[in-house]
Amino acid sequence: MRAEPAASAPGGEASPRPVKAPLPTPVLNRKSGGRLLTDTRFWPTEVWKSPWSLPRYRAGAMWLAGIVLGIAAAGFAVGELAVWAEKLLALLGRTSLPPAVAAWVWVLIKLTCVIGVIVVNGLWAVWWERKISAHIQSRFGPMYAGGFHGWAQTILDSIKLLLKEDVTPAAADQPMHLLAPIMAIAPCVMAFAPVLFGDELAAAKLDVGVLYIFAFASISVIGIVMAGWASGNKYSLLGGLRAAAQIVSYELPRGFSVVPVIMFAGSLDLAVIDQAQAGYWLGFVPRWFVFYPVVGQLAFIFFLIASVAETNRTPFDIPEAESELVAGFHTEFSGIKWAMFFLMEYGYVLLSSFLLAVFFLGGGAAPLPFLDFIPSWIWMVSKAMLMMFVFLWFRWTFPRMRVDQLMDFNWKILLPWSFANIGFAGVLVYLHRSGWGPG
Amino acid sequence: MIEAIAFYSMAAVTLAGAVLVVSLRNTVHSALALGLSLAGVAGLFACLGADFLFAGQLLIYVGGIAILIVFVVMLLGRASDLHLRQVNAQWAAALLVCAITGAGLWRLGALYRHASSQVPAAATTRAIGLLMLGDFAVPFEAISLVLLAALLGAVFFSRKDIS
Repeated sequence: MRAEPAASAPGGEASPRPVKAPLPTPVLNRKSGGRLLTDTRFWPTEVWKSPWSLPRYRAGAMWLAGIVLGIAAAGFAVGELAVWAEKLLALLGRTSLPPAVAAWVWVLIKLTCVIGVIVVNGLWAVWWERKISAHIQSRFGPMYAGGFHGWAQTILDSIKLLLKEDVTPAAADQPMHLLAPIMAIAPCVMAFAPVLFGDELAAAKLDVGVLYIFAFASISVIGIVMAGWASGNKYSLLGGLRAAAQIVSYELPRGFSVVPVIMFAGSLDLAVIDQAQAGYWLGFVPRWFVFYPVVGQLAFIFFLIASVAETNRTPFDIPEAESELVAGFHTEFSGIKWAMFFLMEYGYVLLSSFLLAVFFLGGGAAPLPFLDFIPSWIWMVSKAMLMMFVFLWFRWTFPRMRVDQLMDFNWKILLPWSFANIGFAGVLVYLHRSGWGPG
Repeated sequence: MIEAIAFYSMAAVTLAGAVLVVSLRNTVHSALALGLSLAGVAGLFACLGADFLFAGQLLIYVGGIAILIVFVVMLLGRASDLHLRQVNAQWAAALLVCAITGAGLWRLGALYRHASSQVPAAATTRAIGLLMLGDFAVPFEAISLVLLAALLGAVFFSRKDIS
């Protein structure tokens, strides 16, 4: 390493404040119409005060921001205006489209909204996670891109991921390597179909909603296992194996911890579960399932822990433990394929947050009676965001568990106690039916 | 019309997956094709309006059993990379058994050829729950007992220090 210029030399007679050299004039490559820089050594903070002044970068960012905003606007328009959904449907019907085609168009609109939610959530959650981790570790996190606290950082990151080379290792199984990210992300999108974004605000009303979500959420692990195996790399293979063992194990307590909720509500339909928590005890205590004595709190904690394990996040991130397995199952993935795995992870974090909000935190119900005037979707999304914060907070404050600790914890603590919790819930339901307790 | 297209495409997925399970030369590919075939069966349930069976099939077979099979196949290590022969000396006998079973199934299916599958789609979960804990409570509990015995047996035999 060469010594730095005198300005930063320790001690010495140099003035305490280093004199800044004047910024070099930006040099543009004339041959390409002034588009490419020939000298980008000091970019972005030295030569270019703002990264937005780089034309191609700016154009790409604008495009992506435009696409994202368009999807978000479509999601917002159709989502918030769900009250007007019938009118919108009628409008579709009044066009000259045949009814079958109009129904398909309606499904496509809803699909676009759901995919929009997942994509925008990916951008938002990665930025938020970076900010939270930075503040937990006394850092700043992204600060430059876009101006305000680096809000555009993940948008620019996704441009970078789109432009990166897609590397397939020589030892990889080519078709499986291509198929794995698709197999991981597709069930994630499908699992969002019955998710409530507010009272009665869901893409599909399913009588078996809870089972449906758990069923599709359990398929994604096939994509992870395929990724691990198809990479032709022993770290990846180990990561895939660990992911399979962990997710199949934690699915059991995750499913059983919800059984009390289903018993209280008497349905697998998310909308019914949401409605069952409306109202207040004594006029001010919300009748949320998390406030049911003992059973509610236990179920909430079990579901939260099992959900963190299902999303492969710290303290349960042994499938991608950096200190042991490089990056686990996604070691050999790059560019947009790698991004798909991250989209999946944050998609499932969002899914779990919404499920926690619907199952335990009253869904779209206001916490206090006089706050009823705020629309249900605001309550739902804020509760989900609160739960998402808990997920991100966990990741940056807990150390990673060992494989044996992980399995012991699941099979010896979570699973038996979630069974016991079903028994407690039965006692509670029996007492309630025989006239004990407040309404 | 759309129902028929959905049903026959799901049937095609199921059959194609099943054929791939036995014809692919790589064991891991076969295991994944088994998952595809099981998912196709779930799709068939959905087409026939059995929503609870659809979710249960996906949850247990695709999300559980198929993954455990892939898990075991991957644990075989290098053997999973072997490109095994697809037939052995018994192929003629196997073909005969398949033909007889197929013919029997065909005749059985012919009995119900004119039965309508156009039941109006209705939620089945509540009815299934009432039946399982009402009329069929004893068989249901007996099956759980058998499964519990199997579970305990597996734990007993996999223990290393049997004193």
